[in-house]
Amino acid sequence: MKKVELLIIGAGPAGMSAAIEAVQAGVQVTMLDENTLAGGQIFRQFHDGFHVTDPKALGHDYKRGQTLLSEFASIRNNVEYMDACLSWGIFENNEIAILRDGDSQSFCFQKLIISTGAFDRPVPFPGWTLPGVFTAGGAQRLVKNQQVLPGENILLVGSGPLQLALASQILKVGGKVAGIVEAGRVENWGKLARASWGQWSLLADAARYFWEIGKARIPFLRNHIIVEARGSGQVEEAIIAEVDRNWRPKPGTEQIFKVDTVAVGYGFIPSTELTQMAGCQHRYDLLRGGWIVDRRENMKTSLPDVFAAGDCTGVAGSLVAIDEGRIAGLAVAQALGYLTKTDAQQRMHPYYKRLARSKRFREVVDTISFPRPGLYELPRNDTMICRCREIPFGEIQEVLQEETEDMNEIKRRLGTGMGPCQGRMCGPAIQAIVAQKKKIDPANLGFLNPRPPLKPVELSALADHTQL
Amino acid sequence: MRDRRIEIGIERGQRLEIQVDGEKVVAYQGETIAAALIASGRRTFRRTQKKNEPRGMYCGIGLCFECEMEINGVPNTRACQTLVTPGCQVKTKTSPDQTEDEL
Repeated sequence: MKKVELLIIGAGPAGMSAAIEAVQAGVQVTMLDENTLAGGQIFRQFHDGFHVTDPKALGHDYKRGQTLLSEFASIRNNVEYMDACLSWGIFENNEIAILRDGDSQSFCFQKLIISTGAFDRPVPFPGWTLPGVFTAGGAQRLVKNQQVLPGENILLVGSGPLQLALASQILKVGGKVAGIVEAGRVENWGKLARASWGQWSLLADAARYFWEIGKARIPFLRNHIIVEARGSGQVEEAIIAEVDRNWRPKPGTEQIFKVDTVAVGYGFIPSTELTQMAGCQHRYDLLRGGWIVDRRENMKTSLPDVFAAGDCTGVAGSLVAIDEGRIAGLAVAQALGYLTKTDAQQRMHPYYKRLARSKRFREVVDTISFPRPGLYELPRNDTMICRCREIPFGEIQEVLQEETEDMNEIKRRLGTGMGPCQGRMCGPAIQAIVAQKKKIDPANLGFLNPRPPLKPVELSALADHTQL
Repeated sequence: MRDRRIEIGIERGQRLEIQVDGEKVVAYQGETIAAALIASGRRTFRRTQKKNEPRGMYCGIGLCFECEMEINGVPNTRACQTLVTPGCQVKTKTSPDQTEDEL
């Protein structure tokens, strides 16, 4: 087992920022990332083969990403960086097991920063498994990182700012957006305006998106959600309906959009598998995406050696992730004795100041776009909830009619969450369905216990591990 | 079917060909199998075991496993996480599910 000073898992905005600060303070950093290139989801780099000829044409996010990526590149020689590497289990005594190139290895860390990001909230509705229904993030990755349009005529449905960004990106490259269907409702414009004060860069983005969408005359429907996708073999039409403030469809308001593609974006879910497996305390915060790790000062979790930063600790976007990552990196440097408390605090100060400003704004945006109960009432009896094992809503309902409300009991009975996605696609929906049917606060429901391995791993790798 | 590729601010890598269920499909170095298939208008990457339903790429970041295909003889390989290589053999997954062999 290899001993390391600071282990950072995830090379997105938070992880890269943490590494930059820690290395500059003198910490020996080892970094693990699942992808072949640093950047995470938002700052994902082009694969070898693509050649950037005009960085300006790639937009603001690309520029922001390049700034951070080049700062990271300047310290990368001082980081032991392991790409294409799956961290599949955390065990006692600060041990982490990883899989790389088919080989299992393990590390023993003094300090750990978990910055594993978030993923699109999967929302089941009739037809959501048809080819042509993508998550908004998946569609965005095709457009931004592969420069391929997901379809001929694209309907964007969901809630929150990503929809606007995605619409603008699709339009910019000549794609067709059939409409934007936004479930959220601004109930307090004054509060939104006050919280927006000072967020000039984000406001400029929003203004540009609205201008582009308006110029292209894209229908923008507020207080509407998708209730069904239909088609034979793939998406041919999407049914949308107006909703009340709980996002329950109003009868008779259905409209049909003839589209071949639907991008669904109802926000993101923090990737908490590693913080959960490490044994950190978590709490339920619907506004931040569901179960999130509970943090003390300077990004520290309930475990003294484990820190967490960025979207995996509650979804807040890349700008917040960068500041949190920098604070986590400095906090570790201080804990290891590379920085005095005063020095660390001084360096953290500007990041904390920026975080306080963005927090107010984020809270107001979250209040508009967090999922309301109606969102999880769309499945019919034959709608698949567990995509992997093909378990429809009807079967889950049958189990719920009995006295079961334990997520892990449902998993044992039906096999939901036991396919290759390991519950990432069905878990959040089942949790919402159980909470609503049984009228239980989701915070009291618990969650599907993540168990090693966190992703499908060949048996031979596990055998290797047990021999270590 | 029009090619769904765009080229804004970038140039693509070398043009190559892959085989999808025995048919030649154009791809470019740096693309994922999923992107190359979608660019050519192909959306069904597998059929499900129980109900034989068509499935395609959904999450695009390697989490949902809906885009599993047989790639160069390796079953249950995620098309969204696998880059194209010249002549690579891609098969739509219709055979019985092999996920039982994994953990």
